[in-house]
Amino acid sequence: MALYQRQPYATADRSKVAADESDEEENALVEDYKEQVHFDDGMDELDRTASFGTSGGPQDMQAQLAAAATPLEYGAALDTKFASYDNYCNLFHYILNSEGPVDLEVPTYFWAWDVIDEFIYQFESFCRYRNRIARQEPTSDDAQLLRDNPNTWGCYSVLNVLYSLIQRSQINEQLDSMKRNEDPNQVAGEYGTRPLYRMLGYFSIIGLLRVHCLLGDFSLALKTLDDIELNKKAMFARVMAAHFTTYYYVGFSYMMMRRYADAIRMFSHILVYVSRTKNFQKNAQYDSVSKKNDQMYALIAICVAFNPTKLDDTIHTALREKYGDQLLKLQRGGPEALPLFEDLFRSACPKFISPTPPDFDTPELNVDPVDHHCRIFMEEVKNTMWSPTVKSYLKLYTTMDLKKLAGFLEVEPEKLRGWLLVNKQRSRQVRWSEGALLDGEIVNGSDLDYALQGDLIHVSEAKVGRRLVDWYLRNLARTY
Amino acid sequence: MGIAFDYAPDRPEYIEAILNGLDRYNPETTTVFQDYVTQQCEDRTYDCYANLALLKLYQFNPHLTRDEPTTNILVKALTVFPSPDFSLLLHLLPPHILTPTTNPPLSSGPTPSASDAPLSESVQKLSLLNTLLEQANYSAFWATLDSDDLYADLIADVNGFEELMRVRIASCVGQGCREVERGVCEGWLNLSGREFEGFVTDICGWGVDDGSEGVTAVVRIPVNKENEAKGTVVREEVRFDQFSRVIRRAYEQPA
Repeated sequence: MALYQRQPYATADRSKVAADESDEEENALVEDYKEQVHFDDGMDELDRTASFGTSGGPQDMQAQLAAAATPLEYGAALDTKFASYDNYCNLFHYILNSEGPVDLEVPTYFWAWDVIDEFIYQFESFCRYRNRIARQEPTSDDAQLLRDNPNTWGCYSVLNVLYSLIQRSQINEQLDSMKRNEDPNQVAGEYGTRPLYRMLGYFSIIGLLRVHCLLGDFSLALKTLDDIELNKKAMFARVMAAHFTTYYYVGFSYMMMRRYADAIRMFSHILVYVSRTKNFQKNAQYDSVSKKNDQMYALIAICVAFNPTKLDDTIHTALREKYGDQLLKLQRGGPEALPLFEDLFRSACPKFISPTPPDFDTPELNVDPVDHHCRIFMEEVKNTMWSPTVKSYLKLYTTMDLKKLAGFLEVEPEKLRGWLLVNKQRSRQVRWSEGALLDGEIVNGSDLDYALQGDLIHVSEAKVGRRLVDWYLRNLARTY
Repeated sequence: MGIAFDYAPDRPEYIEAILNGLDRYNPETTTVFQDYVTQQCEDRTYDCYANLALLKLYQFNPHLTRDEPTTNILVKALTVFPSPDFSLLLHLLPPHILTPTTNPPLSSGPTPSASDAPLSESVQKLSLLNTLLEQANYSAFWATLDSDDLYADLIADVNGFEELMRVRIASCVGQGCREVERGVCEGWLNLSGREFEGFVTDICGWGVDDGSEGVTAVVRIPVNKENEAKGTVVREEVRFDQFSRVIRRAYEQPA
């Protein structure tokens, strides 16, 4: 058996590490967004005149379509939630299982996103409500009702809707052919050529990303986006809420897979985008975004603590404003930082759900899924909490005796040896460079490296060389 | 050398087909995945992405859950520490699994074997092992492994578990160290004497220096890319098109 067959980590060449996204691309996105806003305004007017012209359509259907995209009132009764589930089932059944594609006139341009978003939101809040009732009031009337209807808002029916929409619209095939610069209509089929199905299918992919993430399956969440190219002029970028949701869940999934550099890249991308387009956003849309915005800053703070990185200036300033003191404590590490990590994680994580009906007879088994995921995450925080301490000392030396350093830190040498190995292992991270989201290379994310020779620690640092080209070009331009 | 998370070199085609289709949600495929886990345990292969799919089936259909494949999957994940696999698997287990049981069953009878111990107890025991490994506390890992018969039951199905662990630990150590005191290294690998020398020289390709008076015996690890810890200077990248203006000027008519 070869020892090096399966390396826990091996550093790829630094030069091959993907350059961070260029500003140009972001600017292009901003421009694109501006155009889009105008475009949408135009669309709204078109829609209005169009619906005036054909108002003879079945009023019922229009009301149903609108209802499917409208949030339930806060604290709606359980009956309403059941009824809403039935409505969704009927609507999707009609869309998916009629003879041939249905010809529907959707109320707004954003309808497809709104309906998928609301559908999943109601699934999420139903599961959380059911779990809470089973935990806190297992003998109430609601509990009885929930016990009698275990299949309402079942995970299989929700996933079934999303996967069916994706398959009907052939959206993955369409996206794949777009990637190869071919005409997507060739593979779209009878359903997929229609905007209604195409949009529903597309946003169902984003919906799946979210559902898998809520269920704690982070690798599958990222896998669902295989056919969607991020950072390009993706379709989701046209609907702000969809754009935002996508990056939040992708970033979060990366964080849970301990790919902090990738998580930071995702969060930074969308936060920069939001801050640049803030002035063009319609107010209502922006409000819904601002809470998630703060959550993402909290997640960035966590990721930066794990993986110190130079952030974009806008992000850095905003992060200091929002979480200045906390960030310092997180970066200092040690046991004092633990409660802070937990608070930030709880405030910023998705509202995890458990997909199956809870056990109403043994309430103590119904642990809040958020507690479960948080516990696992905190385990990782605890395992690595001494890394900042170790790094801050090693930065000062080129060689250091392990026992001496242990004396400074007041720990047993063997413990310190463990911390050193942990920090070394954690400095190697998988980082995306090209291809699907789950691809990546292992790189050394830290500018500090070291090796142990017995009790002697050899420390080395990656320095940034002088930048000459700019200077050279500027002077050439002046004289020549 | 990019490695995608969902890639496994030894994955058979029929598993690949299930994973890429909707059959990954079909309760009937549970047995297929379970057999695949058994196969991984026997022939020392590992496929985290497929194992996650099995735990997802359990998550959706709790009545199908079987303890043995679940613990075997977790034990297999230990053999690839410090990757995030173990945690990712834990995320798919029922939320109460990590909650310490408030009133432990009175152990008046004979010591329970893995099959009678509740799943949550086994999972928590394995979590402890994982924590010790991730904290690079290898000697405590071996001590804990020996401390309880339940552990022996849990790892029984995984062929060559101890050897796999040794190789993995050695590989982690080799990437962080150039020289280790023999005593420390013996503790990390839970081997001593001839066995230790054999493992270190034959399997790892390391050298052992005997100690003499005043000099402790050390294990020498040849230089590799990770343990040389060479200082690097990050140089700026110069692209040809940055000079396009200068070169264009050279072709233009002199003013």
